[in-house]
Amino acid sequence: MRARPRPRIILKYDVMDAGGDFSEKFGLKHYQSILDNLPVAVFAKDATDEFRFLLWNKKQETISTIPRQRALGRTDYDLFSQESAQYFREMDEKIVRSGKPLEIPEEILETGDRDEVYLHTYKIPIFDHDRTILVGISEDVTETVTNRKALQKASRTIQAKEQEIEKTQLQLIQIAKLESIGQLAAGVAHEVKNPLNLILQGVEYLDRTITEKDENTAFVIEEMNHAITRATKIINELVDFSTSSRFDKRECDLAGLLDGVLLMLRHDCSRLDVQIDRDFAEGLTVHVDQAKFEQVILNVVINAIHALRDVAQPRVAITTRKSTYSDERSEGVRTGKQIRIGDPIVEIEIGDNGAGISPEHLDKVFDPFFTTKPTGVGTGLGLSVVRKIVELHDGFITITNHPTLAGAMVKIVLPE
Amino acid sequence: MSKIKVLAIDDEPGATRMMKINLESLGQYQVEMVNDSTQSIATALRFRPDIILLDMVMPNLDGGDVKRLLQENEELKDIPVLFLTALVSDSDTSSDVSLVESGDGIMIPKPVKTEVLRSCIEQTLSGVL
Repeated sequence: MRARPRPRIILKYDVMDAGGDFSEKFGLKHYQSILDNLPVAVFAKDATDEFRFLLWNKKQETISTIPRQRALGRTDYDLFSQESAQYFREMDEKIVRSGKPLEIPEEILETGDRDEVYLHTYKIPIFDHDRTILVGISEDVTETVTNRKALQKASRTIQAKEQEIEKTQLQLIQIAKLESIGQLAAGVAHEVKNPLNLILQGVEYLDRTITEKDENTAFVIEEMNHAITRATKIINELVDFSTSSRFDKRECDLAGLLDGVLLMLRHDCSRLDVQIDRDFAEGLTVHVDQAKFEQVILNVVINAIHALRDVAQPRVAITTRKSTYSDERSEGVRTGKQIRIGDPIVEIEIGDNGAGISPEHLDKVFDPFFTTKPTGVGTGLGLSVVRKIVELHDGFITITNHPTLAGAMVKIVLPE
Repeated sequence: MSKIKVLAIDDEPGATRMMKINLESLGQYQVEMVNDSTQSIATALRFRPDIILLDMVMPNLDGGDVKRLLQENEELKDIPVLFLTALVSDSDTSSDVSLVESGDGIMIPKPVKTEVLRSCIEQTLSGVL
């Protein structure tokens, strides 16, 4: 048989019989009175008799809302829920087995009519002859715990706010960056487009007057024309930064707008054998500047088509739907009215089955002049202009890798 | 058939000269140039153009000022004006004809191809634009 652990505290009196020196001199009544006037809850269970309660002082009555008469002689299973009782019982058995007192810094006591009560409890096993008694002393720490939880919550809120401020600062820097590009662009554009005009008309003149062109002359003239077109395009895209705030917004049929853009791209699509999957929600309208928004869609779809050059069965999937905004947007510049959780929104998703975007490029794709295309194919202004236009429509745009198609997925969200 | 008389007003002599060379090489145009915008009204009264091509940004009198002076003049107020400007741009730069309507009238973004210029002139004179 396993040796019983050496008891640490020996009770000099018997709780039930009120025997021994102390109670003889002082009387059970007084001893009960001391217990009942303690600011802490005191209870005792008989571990040798199914952990039935032997002691239940006044404070324990207050905390548990269970009167002494009901508790004495009963077990945790009679007084508390199955779950709580099991927790207490396991704890009690562990203490009895170890023979050592245990401090429980925080435990929850369910009570009938009060909210949860938090207790700081000491449980002490007392071994007296053949009986083992488990004494519990509990302090109601509900207020402390509640305060601490409130403090933790406040601290988390502060932390979140701090992060938001930091994010906003970064966004403001980004906006300032874009705005200075816009101002610069407006100034530079005027100065550059006038000479471009002269070059264009000069090349036209040469083209017309040099009637006998050898191969090289024809090449030079053609290349110069291309160069002018390219330079003009870059300048115009830059100017869009500074002029795109003048919007002419109207209610537009979204499906009609998208189909119009797809019509413009039908040659590119059939040439590259790109399959377009349309999944448009019926009757969706958006409040947009149609020309600017067509530019947005055109740009994104062209990007998708460019990404499909070496793909076996190239596909672009365009989906529109009405929804309620639920995600907290994690990045991107916020301008104008911000879409908030619960707001009705219109989502446009444009996905492709190309190679997708490498993770290190994901947060750069909206930067002006960022491009992965060879010189002359893309200026890198496209997506930054796209984002600006979407934001001036009080929406936002995100780019991720498509969950099923493996390529990139651009999602444009507009307020409904 | 008499030639279409075009008055090209731009502070940059190279620009007006180039327009003159290109438009006149098409055969049916006669182009007169003004590089000092303060001379616009006097030249217009003398030349009696069918249409005026007017640069927007110019020193002294800008395109808007010249247009107002033209409108205030009984003899010139009915002459159609096309603005040429490097200030506007059309987002869809792949399109050949990109005109921007503003409060002042029709603007043709620079750089502009002669072909586009001719098409705009013809459409304006035939009342399409």
